[in-house]
Amino acid sequence: MSDAVSAEEVRHVAELARVDLADDEVDQFTRQFADILEYFETLDEVPEVDREADLTNVMRPDEERDSLDREAALENASETEDGYFKGPNVS
Amino acid sequence: MTAQTVQQGDLVTVIGLEVHVQLETDTKIFCGCSTDRTDEPNENVCPVCLGLPGALPVLNEAAVEGAVKIGKAIDADIPEETRFHRKNYYYPDLPKNFQITQYDEPICQEGELEVSVEGDRRTVAIERAHLEEDPGSLQHVGGGGGIDSAEYTLVDYNRAGTPLMEIVTAPDFRSPSEVRAFLAKLEEVLEYLGVFDAERDGSLRIDANLSIIPEEEIESGDVTDIGAEALAAANRTEVKNISSHKGAEKALAYEETRQKNAIQRGRAVEQETRHWDESRGITVSMRSKEEEKDYRYFEEADLPPLQVAHWKDEISIPELPSARRERFQDEYGLNEEAASKLTSTKQVADFYEDVASEFDPDLAATWVADNLLGELNYRDMAITDLEGRFEEVTRLVELVAEEEITAKNARETVLRSMLDDEKAPDAIVEDEGLGKTDEDEVQQAVVAAIDENPDAVDDYASGDDGAINFLVGQVMQKTGGSADPGDVNQLLRAELEG
Repeated sequence: MSDAVSAEEVRHVAELARVDLADDEVDQFTRQFADILEYFETLDEVPEVDREADLTNVMRPDEERDSLDREAALENASETEDGYFKGPNVS
Repeated sequence: MTAQTVQQGDLVTVIGLEVHVQLETDTKIFCGCSTDRTDEPNENVCPVCLGLPGALPVLNEAAVEGAVKIGKAIDADIPEETRFHRKNYYYPDLPKNFQITQYDEPICQEGELEVSVEGDRRTVAIERAHLEEDPGSLQHVGGGGGIDSAEYTLVDYNRAGTPLMEIVTAPDFRSPSEVRAFLAKLEEVLEYLGVFDAERDGSLRIDANLSIIPEEEIESGDVTDIGAEALAAANRTEVKNISSHKGAEKALAYEETRQKNAIQRGRAVEQETRHWDESRGITVSMRSKEEEKDYRYFEEADLPPLQVAHWKDEISIPELPSARRERFQDEYGLNEEAASKLTSTKQVADFYEDVASEFDPDLAATWVADNLLGELNYRDMAITDLEGRFEEVTRLVELVAEEEITAKNARETVLRSMLDDEKAPDAIVEDEGLGKTDEDEVQQAVVAAIDENPDAVDDYASGDDGAINFLVGQVMQKTGGSADPGDVNQLLRAELEG
């Protein structure tokens, strides 16, 4: 496969996403990224079609809508404390 | 080495600002959650501002109106088309892992704001101002509460999605006091526009870039015109976590001294981000192992572009302080100093116009600009502390205008008591017996003063005009200061000549 993505780029992206990759994983992801990007080339085969007119200025009035109940908002959090989402220390 | 011993004459300070202001809307920028402050965490949240999968942002019209108003006020260009971008970064204050902001097509471009610094008018260029969403708020808990030593983090997304305007200035400031003056002016303009509430905690946040440039490197020889090369050659620090104009002046004065000291000791200033520690009054390095910033901006496909250039003509904004200041000079014949004081806030200006519509504009100016603001300032109070009592102040001016009490008593007794004891003016006049003495009583005092002081009468008769002042003093004493000295003078002369 071509060098669509370098190992260095994979390490950089992993670091930005706070994902720790071992060296063999870097190789694996480099290959998989290349496959995924190659797959996008399939889009080149899509025929030209008329598209809808571009939207502009889609806005809503400044009117309040109901928020979620706090219980529902926190429902999927792995840890909570006193109504807060709780997570590890971040610096 | 103290700052005083440093020779700072040949070093020029250069400061640029990024000012974040929260726009006063009822709801968040991309969802209908309330922007009200609440003590309860995560009360005003929904799938959009929690970044739940599949949730779609819809832009709040009021936030765009606020941005256009700011654009008009700073005389910025509103481009034909403007759009939103995603700024990607991984931190829990943003649940989506990106912030919706504006990148290369901000809604306001190339504006300016005129500011008065110690009597000089300066124009500060505003490179851009753009809309974005405020992140949520984090609490670092345990381990002494420090950001590095904390045990865990608590996250509240009530603030997440509050509309923000980020206003970016050119590096046009040459001193921390200029920065303070600019921020005060900016706040004033934003409040006039009704898009901002300065009283709201956290409504103003400032990041400042500061660098020091040796004067000989400025090719133009003019410190207000520093070339890009000289700017690029100097290392700068970005000072974060500033939340008021007073704080900005202090933080930047500290940073200015720190950098100048380093340079004068022959050390290099490191290009870095520093955190303003308000309680300790110092800036500290935020040296982090973090990789170079890489926000990978890309277009926010969930928000179609905006075409609101024409809103600039459709949306009206109130008369701004500078225009009002000029009008006060023309319309009421005030000098510039009085007009400036009277337009310092919208509330002061509105109150002045109320008073000036009923009484003589000069009298109104003396009372509002000098007496009222002076006494408020002396007490560390603001016009807002008089909420609900403006009629009382108007009544006091009326008492003076109708000559029911002397100006001196009104100023020194009634006004002060109104502020210190929260009493109404008529009650104070009554309690203190300040009502102007009636004429008979004054006349009696005049006659008595003449009878009791034959020496002064002789002096006056022999041409010593100064003797009259002594007699005026005697009459004033007898009437408890409530007589009008000018009237007394005339009555005395009439009595003595007659």
